[in-house]
Amino acid sequence: MSTDDLIETFRAQLRDDPDVASAVAAIRALLGFLRQDRGETIQGLRSSLRDAIDTLSRVDSSVAVNSGGELFLRFISLTSLEYSDYSKCKEIMIERGEIFLRKVSLSRNKIAKLCHPFIRDGARILTHAYSRVVLRVLEAAVESKKRFSVYVTESQPDQAGQVFINLQKMAKALRKLNIPVTVILDAAVGYIMEKVDLVLVGAEGVVESGGIINKIGTNQIAVCAKAQNKPFYVVAESFKFVRLFPLNQQDVPDKFKYKADTLKTSQNLTEEHPWIDYTSPSLITLLFTDLGVLTPSAVSDELIKLYL
Amino acid sequence: MPGAAERGSELSEQIEAFVSRLRGGGQRPRSEDTARQTLSLLRKIIAHGRWGWAGELMDLIRTEGRRMTAAQPSETTVGNMVRRVLKVIREEYGRLHGRSEESDQQDSLHKLLTSGGLSEDFSTPYPSLRANVIEAINELLIELEGTTDNIAMQALEHIHSNEVIMTIGYSRTVEAFLKEAARKRKFQVIVAECAPFCQGHEMAVRLSKENIETTVMSDAAIFAVMSRVNKVIIGTKTILANGALIAVSGTHTLALAAKHHSTPLIVCAPMFKLSPQFPNEEDSFHKFVSPQEVLPFTE
Repeated sequence: MSTDDLIETFRAQLRDDPDVASAVAAIRALLGFLRQDRGETIQGLRSSLRDAIDTLSRVDSSVAVNSGGELFLRFISLTSLEYSDYSKCKEIMIERGEIFLRKVSLSRNKIAKLCHPFIRDGARILTHAYSRVVLRVLEAAVESKKRFSVYVTESQPDQAGQVFINLQKMAKALRKLNIPVTVILDAAVGYIMEKVDLVLVGAEGVVESGGIINKIGTNQIAVCAKAQNKPFYVVAESFKFVRLFPLNQQDVPDKFKYKADTLKTSQNLTEEHPWIDYTSPSLITLLFTDLGVLTPSAVSDELIKLYL
Repeated sequence: MPGAAERGSELSEQIEAFVSRLRGGGQRPRSEDTARQTLSLLRKIIAHGRWGWAGELMDLIRTEGRRMTAAQPSETTVGNMVRRVLKVIREEYGRLHGRSEESDQQDSLHKLLTSGGLSEDFSTPYPSLRANVIEAINELLIELEGTTDNIAMQALEHIHSNEVIMTIGYSRTVEAFLKEAARKRKFQVIVAECAPFCQGHEMAVRLSKENIETTVMSDAAIFAVMSRVNKVIIGTKTILANGALIAVSGTHTLALAAKHHSTPLIVCAPMFKLSPQFPNEEDSFHKFVSPQEVLPFTE
């Protein structure tokens, strides 16, 4: 499968289903790549998969695509350990890949079921930018007959917050169910924090220390929440767990901070605005994942169980 | 069959009696008694209930369990024991089904990637499942008996001579803990009386019978006395999933005072008090009692 075909499959996935997570689209594209691969050895497969993952990161440089790719590689290695015959191995891989994708599609519902009891009646929630998982959680809370109001940050530079409330299906449905939504400036987070009961954000990636990588501005919100003693909840699917351990903001690799086109064309990266930031685990109260409700320290346990 | 029907109605009578006792509870019942009663009741349900395979049994236990927990949501031991029994059933089923011993029951990323099937189906009937599960529950009951002693055995490592220990209210686990240490060491205990029921008085009387130097003080003096205390040892009603405690009123004050003075706080609790719930539904955890006992209506 050529690189162009791969990129086209990936883009098609994102186009056809706007609700799909970019990591899942990446894994689907890689599974298609695996099906059409005509190599005969595991080593060959692994190296062509690595190239494929690089190609995909050049299209969409987000952390999620990277973690999806790593997970897929790990999946290949684990399966290849069990079966030595290559063709049988490949069959099992494809079968398990399908099962994995099916399980993963249920993960948002699992998370919503875990998280909505934490939203009490009359709660005021603050959220940041656009997260499909957060939308699903709020939907589940409405289904369980809770009344609450939501503050959304405008989330520059792409005004994802605005997109959030103007998005056709979700926002209209939320409005129909009478959820009051207020858009606030990014700078107004400190001002609004005293009114808020809890902060609920999604994540693009969950790092080994239990911290998260998310849209720029999340760290600020977390610090304000800690200062005012408000719980800071993160909702993320388990395929977003990534093998990074940043110690500070500078440690996050540049390839995640900037969009793929900026990386290719820019002269001096330090003059570009970063799109993501790192929130340290001490600021996070709980993480809701499809593996259960985890404290930030439990995240490293999960990653160790998988990778070691 | 008259025998089975009789047993069935007797069973539901017993369940009803247990549920109404839970609901009514004016006197604070011993958590260990509640745990033991729950386990015996569940054992009876498994032995006499009508079920064919593990899935059916688990649904039966879940329904009864939900009824029991709904009667008194603040008694988390009931829910914990029901969950233990469900886990026992899953394990016994897994063993009979031929799955390996070390297979991870919990979800993990690893399991997500390597498992073959979508979900576990508990539908294969095994005749020996009933006996196995009942045996496992008997083991659990035996474990229950020994909890206080197992905790008390560790007392000598934590309490040293000439220490001042503070505690609050009356906890049988802490009483056993302190008594065990008193056999070899000499120390002082300050008990916060825990108004309005003043369980602290009973604790002080029992401790002083063992020749432990005990002082009773009012709850208001907790912060004032804390600077002279070496350790705080308390019991609790429940331990929640994030490590938080649901304990007698006044424990939060004690904990804040201890934190301010950097005094170590030790909690003694048996395993049936560990609950997988999070502290979110505030209203279902608090237990409210009639004000009659503090301010009688006649006055």
